[in-house]
Amino acid sequence: MLFEVYKNFSPRLRVFYLIFALLFTALSVGLFYRQVILWPTYLEQEKKQNHRRILVPGPRGNIYDRKGRLLVGNRPRFSAVIYLSELRPEFRRKYIEVVRSARSTNRKINRNELQIEARSAVVQNYLNRINRILNRNDQVDRKEVERHFRQNLLLPKPLIKDLKLSEFALLTEQLPVNFPVQIHTESARYYPSGSRAAHTLGFVGSTFEVPEEGVPGNDLTTVTYKGKTGRSGLERQFDEHLQGTSGGEIWVVDPSGFQYELASQKLPVKGNDLSITIDIDLQQAAEEALGDNKGALVALEVKTGEVLVLASKPDFDLNNLSPYIPNEVYRSINERGAWLNRAIAGLYPPGSSFKVITATAGLQSGAIDLETIFECQGFLQVGNRHFPCNNHRDRGEISFSRSIMKSCNIYFQNAGLRTGVTQISRTARQFGLDQPTGIELPNETHRMIIPDPEYKAARQHGPWTAGDTANLSIGQGYLLVTPLQMAAFTASFARRETRTHPTLLHDPAADPRRIDHGGEKLNLPEELYNGIVEGMEMAVSGRDRGLLVGSGRMAHVPGIRIAGKTGTAQTQVKGEKLTMAWFICFAPIEDPKIAIATVVESTDPDYLYGGGSHAAPVAKKVLQAYFQNKNPSGNNLATR
Amino acid sequence: MVRKIPHATKPIVLLLGLLLTWLLLPAVFKSYSRAGFFEFQAPLWVTAAEFKNLGDSWALRAHSKKELYETGRDLARLNSAYELKLQEIDALRDELSRLERILVLPSLPRFQYRIARVVRRDQSSWWQQLVIQKGKLHGIPVGAAVVYSGGVVGRIREVHAYTSVVELATSPGFRMAAHFDNDERPVTYQGAVNLPFSSPRGKVMNVPPDVVVTASVPRRLTSSRLGGVFPDGLTIGWVNRLTTSPDGLFQSGQPYLDKNLLSLKEVAVLIPLGTGGTP
Repeated sequence: MLFEVYKNFSPRLRVFYLIFALLFTALSVGLFYRQVILWPTYLEQEKKQNHRRILVPGPRGNIYDRKGRLLVGNRPRFSAVIYLSELRPEFRRKYIEVVRSARSTNRKINRNELQIEARSAVVQNYLNRINRILNRNDQVDRKEVERHFRQNLLLPKPLIKDLKLSEFALLTEQLPVNFPVQIHTESARYYPSGSRAAHTLGFVGSTFEVPEEGVPGNDLTTVTYKGKTGRSGLERQFDEHLQGTSGGEIWVVDPSGFQYELASQKLPVKGNDLSITIDIDLQQAAEEALGDNKGALVALEVKTGEVLVLASKPDFDLNNLSPYIPNEVYRSINERGAWLNRAIAGLYPPGSSFKVITATAGLQSGAIDLETIFECQGFLQVGNRHFPCNNHRDRGEISFSRSIMKSCNIYFQNAGLRTGVTQISRTARQFGLDQPTGIELPNETHRMIIPDPEYKAARQHGPWTAGDTANLSIGQGYLLVTPLQMAAFTASFARRETRTHPTLLHDPAADPRRIDHGGEKLNLPEELYNGIVEGMEMAVSGRDRGLLVGSGRMAHVPGIRIAGKTGTAQTQVKGEKLTMAWFICFAPIEDPKIAIATVVESTDPDYLYGGGSHAAPVAKKVLQAYFQNKNPSGNNLATR
Repeated sequence: MVRKIPHATKPIVLLLGLLLTWLLLPAVFKSYSRAGFFEFQAPLWVTAAEFKNLGDSWALRAHSKKELYETGRDLARLNSAYELKLQEIDALRDELSRLERILVLPSLPRFQYRIARVVRRDQSSWWQQLVIQKGKLHGIPVGAAVVYSGGVVGRIREVHAYTSVVELATSPGFRMAAHFDNDERPVTYQGAVNLPFSSPRGKVMNVPPDVVVTASVPRRLTSSRLGGVFPDGLTIGWVNRLTTSPDGLFQSGQPYLDKNLLSLKEVAVLIPLGTGGTP
């Protein structure tokens, strides 16, 4: 009998063992690879999927004036907000209720529409509670609720913005601590001085581009509270310096995007403060003196170039531009032409205030000296051009110092013709009048003009004529400068240097002797320099039979030696005749401390309109305020 | 054949069964049970408080006649002083009404005071509350301000038939509008987690950055009329230190509250005139 013998082990099984072993190994390796090697990657993916980041911009730094008074700060802006993510159970309940109601009334059921309806109803319910407390009657905007729900679920939805302090107090006391409606605080820019130095300080606008440095979770889906960015003035120039450091929150969210756990949080930090050179008292004095006129005034500290005043009129209340610019405010500012910072971007012919440069050029070149005399008969015929001189009534010979005192056009046109356009233009350029001053402000114009024959030829205005030189000599014609440039020139002239670098950054520790303004010593012998200054002093304080008779007499401040020069210039802007009244000055002559340039525009001037009558009194107010501050007892001002 | 539940597991099964039944009960029933339970407890608390009062009263009877004469005399003086104050208050009230009429100002909110004895104190780290011996039947409304001679006590949170629950100002769930002495700008006062046997404290927030407080010159934090619940000027506590937030917008601090707040025997409920409290 043949028995079949079965072996426990067959060599053929080895193949299956091998295959099994290989497959098991592959599975084990795969498992190891996924569980151990790829673990960080999966963790990262999981984190990205269920973590969301909220960026909270830090408040901006404050801006202070040279005496530490607050010019720009932050004020809290309270809003009643609702956290939609906390209302999910209520949304569901309301949705079921709405669907039942729709069914019972045989309404067509559009689930999406009903969800929107349910969510709006729940939010309205909470708003009604606030309405009862605040005695208001606000209604929710369905579209806004839905948009917020879809796009910004992580952020609280504002129900009532910009709460008054009384409303804030009512809600604080009457809303429960753990309630979906809470009071949210954000910062808005606050300007204690209102419209003072509005153009210099500038304003901010909203932005979603919030700095992310230092906030973890760069790779996470991020939602951002609106931040602020500088749009003009110092706010724009020093945006990075003033910008706060952002904070952030990282939330764990469920698949529907509802947040349920705060994973980490970093608090926002306020930006750096800025101390500027403006003296808000002087600024106020200047702006009040300018009144409702269009114009500008710049006052510089002579030795340091620090800007004490940078006023431009018309202006606007910065508080009306924060936290946003309403349309009607924008339109009003636009119509008044108030956006323009006339101090740094207003281009004007300097008129007779330019005669100081003509005099310097003439004396430097030797074309004239302090003894030079010209005859003024009230007009000058140069080629086919007729130039009148209405600045003084006495006719006949006129000396150098008296010509400055009386601002005689004929004297300076003759002097200019003798000196020549090249020398006058060179001197003006030497003082930097052909280029921006480099002040730390955006939008300083680059379009200033110091004309010469090349300039005229390049613009195909024909050949340069003697009439052009005569016109340039009295600061008219193609010549265009800004008030800031004229103030910088005045400060340079007061220091007997050629350049002044005006600055808005206040450094009380700076040694004025070490400040390099980038120019050189004025190449003018002391005697000649003093001759010009003497003429300028006579323009302000010159007397005849005890009466002040200089063209700038309305800037006279008893007890202070002031060197000043008036100017009146005419131009056309968009077909409209514009007359500019100028006044430049520095004081005190023995140790110059302050230099001022001011211009006041008029479209409808009377025959007396000019620098002496309309610009000099403005400068006087600032001089009085400056010296009153320096000497609060006022003894000096009263006795001399 | 049905297997018997072992003896050892019977209590757990019973407990789970009860819990399940409680969970499945309708909310109305639960709420009713809770209120009923409270009303059932209230007489016990009141009785316990009365016994304590009785004990205190017997303790007082142990005083000598001389002590009683002196106390009586002091009390008479106090009463005279209060009479005088009351007359002053009446005069001031008339003057206020006159000025309101002349200047056409809205009247200041006026309150009726209901004195109530404290029958129970419940003070854990997470909430601090009092139970007082006046309730719905005495016209106490939810949300009314509760004060004592030292200032703010808290606010009525729950009202039952004969008793009410007062959320103390130290409780983290309590929040009110406040202001510092001589500074009308409203700030936020909120209770805080208070550890047992520690001095009662709260939190003051949203304090403008220009408010100056030093340890040597602490400032009084008082209630603000702007909140609409408390009259103006009631003491909440004293603040001797403020910390500026990193964003520089506000300061915050921890006011010290009166220690007596946790051992009060009698409080006054301020019922705004014109609401449920109108006599």
